[in-house]
Parts: sequence; C-alpha cells; structure tokens
Amino acid sequence: MNVPAVRRRSSVASAVYGLLNPIPFGFFVAGLVFDVCYAKTGTTLWGKGAAWLIAIGLVFAVIPRLVNLVQVWITSRRLATGADHVDFWLNFVAIVAAVLNAFVHTRDAYAIVPAAVWLSVVTVALIAIGHIVIAVRPTVQREYVHG
Amino acid sequence: MDKVMLRGALFLACTTLLAACAEKASQDAAQQSGAAPSLPKAQQFLVPPMQVPDFVGWKDGAAPTVAPGLKIEKIASGLKHPRQLLTLPNGDVLVVESNGPGEEAVTTPKQLMAGMVKNRSGKGAKGGNRITLLRKSASGEWEKHDFIGNLHSPFGVQLIGDTLYVANTDAIVTFPYQEGETTIRTPGTEFTDLPSTVNHHWTKALQANPDGTKLYVGVGSNSNITENGLEVEYRRAAVLEVDVASRASRIYASGIRNPTGLQWNPATNSLWAIANERDEIGADLVPDYMTSVTEGAFYGWPYSYYGQHVDRRVMPQRPDLVQKAIPPDYALGSHVAALGLLLTQGNALPAKYQNGAFVSEHGSWDRSPLSGYEVVFVAFKDGKPTGKPETVVSGFHSKDESQLFGAPVGVVLDKEGALLIADDVGDTVWRVTAAAP
Repeated sequence: MNVPAVRRRSSVASAVYGLLNPIPFGFFVAGLVFDVCYAKTGTTLWGKGAAWLIAIGLVFAVIPRLVNLVQVWITSRRLATGADHVDFWLNFVAIVAAVLNAFVHTRDAYAIVPAAVWLSVVTVALIAIGHIVIAVRPTVQREYVHG
Repeated sequence: MDKVMLRGALFLACTTLLAACAEKASQDAAQQSGAAPSLPKAQQFLVPPMQVPDFVGWKDGAAPTVAPGLKIEKIASGLKHPRQLLTLPNGDVLVVESNGPGEEAVTTPKQLMAGMVKNRSGKGAKGGNRITLLRKSASGEWEKHDFIGNLHSPFGVQLIGDTLYVANTDAIVTFPYQEGETTIRTPGTEFTDLPSTVNHHWTKALQANPDGTKLYVGVGSNSNITENGLEVEYRRAAVLEVDVASRASRIYASGIRNPTGLQWNPATNSLWAIANERDEIGADLVPDYMTSVTEGAFYGWPYSYYGQHVDRRVMPQRPDLVQKAIPPDYALGSHVAALGLLLTQGNALPAKYQNGAFVSEHGSWDRSPLSGYEVVFVAFKDGKPTGKPETVVSGFHSKDESQLFGAPVGVVLDKEGALLIADDVGDTVWRVTAAAP
C-alpha cells in the first residue's frame, strides 16, 4: 500500500464522483433508446422524452466531470495513468457530442432524425469505451484515481 | 493524440455553432413577395436564427412613421394588448384586448427558453380578456368605455343583426347588442365550441359572409410543424365554416398553418385570409401569405408549402396530400407575421390606397435582419393582388433593431374611412388619415 499517495486524494470527492458519475450515462442510454424509438415510429413523445433525458443527463454530468478533471490533471496527476487520460478525453468528447445533441433536439418533429440517433450513439459509445479502458487497466492503480 | 482529438472536437463544435448563429437572410422582401416568391433550399440548424428586439414602448409623443401624404394620431392608449378592431354601424369602434391563454404545457426544454425570449419583446404580456369601446365625441376626442369583460383569449368579433359574435379561443359566444350602448352587462351565451386543445396558435379569427348566414373561423395549427403530434391537429390549420342558423360547423379549407385576418372580397365574392407559414428552415423560408380561400382546397400544411415543396420534418409523409396542395395567391415575405388584413374598395386615404389590401405585419423572431413590423398596402386589380407591397406605416422598432416600440395587429376603417391600427405591444390604437394638402 502506498500510504502517502492515498492521503493525497479526497474521499469526499471520490464519494461524490462515485455517486454522480453513473447518472449521466443512464440518462444518455435512455436517450439513445428514445431516439431510436422516435426514428422508428415518428411518435413525438419519444423525441420530446429524449430531449429531456439528454438535457438532464448533461446537468448531472457537470459535477462528476469537474471532479474527474481535477483528479486526473491536478490532485492525482502523478498517479494518473494513460488509461485515466484516455478515459478523460473520451468523456470530454462524449459531453461535446451530447451538447450538440441537446441543440439538435431543439429542432421540431422529425428534423432531429438522423442526427439525434448518431449523436446519441457516439455519446453512449464513448462513455462505454471509457469504462472499459478503466476496467482493463492494472488493478493496483484503480485505487488512487477512481476509488 | 489526445490533444489532436480535443482540438478536432472543439473546432467542430465552434464552427457548427457559429455557422448556425451567423445565418442571415440572403433575400430581400421584394424577392419574396408577389405571386411567385423565390424559395431557397430548406436548411437545418443547431440554433435557429433568432432576433428579438427588447420592449421599450412608445416614449412621450413618439409615433410610427407614415408614408408621404398621410398623418397618424393616437386615439387610445393604456390598453391591455389590443389585438383586433371592429367598427360598428354607428361609428363606435370595438377593441379586443387579448393574448394567449397560457394553457400550452411545457413539454420540451426548448419551450422553457423560447418563453423567456418572447417575454423580452413585450409580445408575451398578459391580455385584457375584454373588449373596449371607443367613441368619437363631438370635440374629436375618443372616449373609452368598458364594453365586455371576462372573455377567454378573444380575437375575432363580428356583428350580425343585433347579435355580437365573439370568438374566444375555445368557443364562439354571443351577446345581444343595441345600437348606441357602451357596455354590455348580459353574460355571453355559448354559441358553438371551437378546437381548443393545446392552443399553440390560440387566435380564432372571425368573418361573417355578406348575408350573415355563415361565420368563417380561422383556426391555427397546434405546432410549428407537427412537433406536438398529428392527433392534436384535428380541425386545426383550417378555416371552419359555421352555419349561423344551425350552429353546425365544417372544415371549409385546410392546410393553412395559421389563418387570420379573414375578409370578404366583394369584387370576387370570396373569402380571403392571411397566414403565417412555418419557421426554422431558414431566414428566407417560408414566406407568409395572403390568399383567396377556396372551398375544399388544401394549402399544404404540414406536408408541403407553396404547392409541392415537401417539408421533411413531418412523419409520416403524405405524398397523396402533397399532390393535392395548391399554392397561395400572394407572398408577403418570410416571417413577417401578418396578423391583420383589411380589403378596401374605398376609404378616406389618398387615391392610390383606394382598391387593395392593408396588411399589418406583427414582426419576426426567426429572422435576422428583422422583417415585418409594419403595415403595408397591396394594390388589387380585378379582385386580385398585383405589384409589390408598399410600406404605409413603419417605425415600430428602433433603426438598429434593438428596441421595440410597438407592433401592428388588427386593421380596420372607421366610419370616416380612416385607417385604424391596433398596436398590441405599444398598447395603443393608431389612426391614419390623409395629410392636409
């Protein structure tokens, strides 16, 4: 156990991150499901639902993304590995795609298709890859950045 | 690699956003008016072009600008969102003070934002839900009387015989009227109901035919382009015909997105209307229009515009209906928001305004630079519009397009043949007459 390193990270930040980080992913996955339903059916309920899901997902993403930013690049930068960096950038691009997608969802009716679907796919896929990258890296380092 | 990805993503985000925001109108009003307007290709946006001037109202003594040979005076102010006007046989003028009922549910994040933008311009202010009567006194001043209160987002008003028909957003109600009275205390009686789900476009324009046997009702669509679902568009985007004797109603013409300003054209003995066309496919799409309304005709909304120009935003598409769609008669320009129409065959204005249509344009939000915010005149020949619209009254916003003083809605002639204009942002009624030579 590397005791000095453990002392450097905040357990509060890690707890907040652990609680909030899964929420946007859930919203974005639901948004993808709704977008696909809308593209298939043209029933406006699905498109409007997706607009809310993506907007709310983005609101919940603010705090965990900031925590991650600070941990990876400032407080735990000496412990952060290549996997942490890749995860950070994958999430960053995913959030950019979700922001674009929120704007796409302000279009009326079927004008959101197909852009809404592929932007939802990009958002979900990038975050999913980030999780995989973190999962498959050497276990000993997982302790430090993501608790 | 990470930095390259970041730069790439940022570049993509910025350029798309800028491209969307920098969209300016490329066509001028003249190209988009008349029988065959130039229609560019439909576009899609991340953020639709949007420009709304801030409400300031009319400062002391300020007034709209009129064309040479005309003068303008204020005959009533301090009203609550005056929308429509009707001149009664004895010369009294009714002013319908109204705004949307505010019953439309917020179902998208976009509606939250759009509501805030609209309120900045003063167009979202609460309406009076009443009718005020203006009477010219012997001294030439116009007196204000509370005529009818407790209405529900009224818009159209018509007098047939001794019955006054008021189109609330959800029903036509009737009131007994005796010539000369300045207030009606009798509560209204429901005459017939009108489509009133959602009420995205809430105004119900009203026009009687010359013999008073039919009432025509303009019912706007419940969405920009079916984003609230097709089921709420039943008997919407249509002109309904109500039989006065039996109160039965039917769809007279359909596919007109938001028909208002219904008028009877005596030259052709036919019904005319103005309409606001769809938004968010470009600063130069789709021009609002003025048209004769043919019985049984379909004018395209939502599936197409100006005949067979298909709108891909509607699902499912209906090629069979697009085939039937006919183009309107006369384009007024994109996003001008025509909300008042007056067909005239004689008035007290100079000679060039004697035969034609006054159209008041409430003004754009979905376009930069602004369009509308003026009253124009379109000359008619043989009962049909000809030439280009001419500006009659303008100056409703500041020259730099940042401040909004007023916005014209209802237009009507008073008993002396002067042009009256309701201004629902400046809360004023204006009167335009020929300037003394």
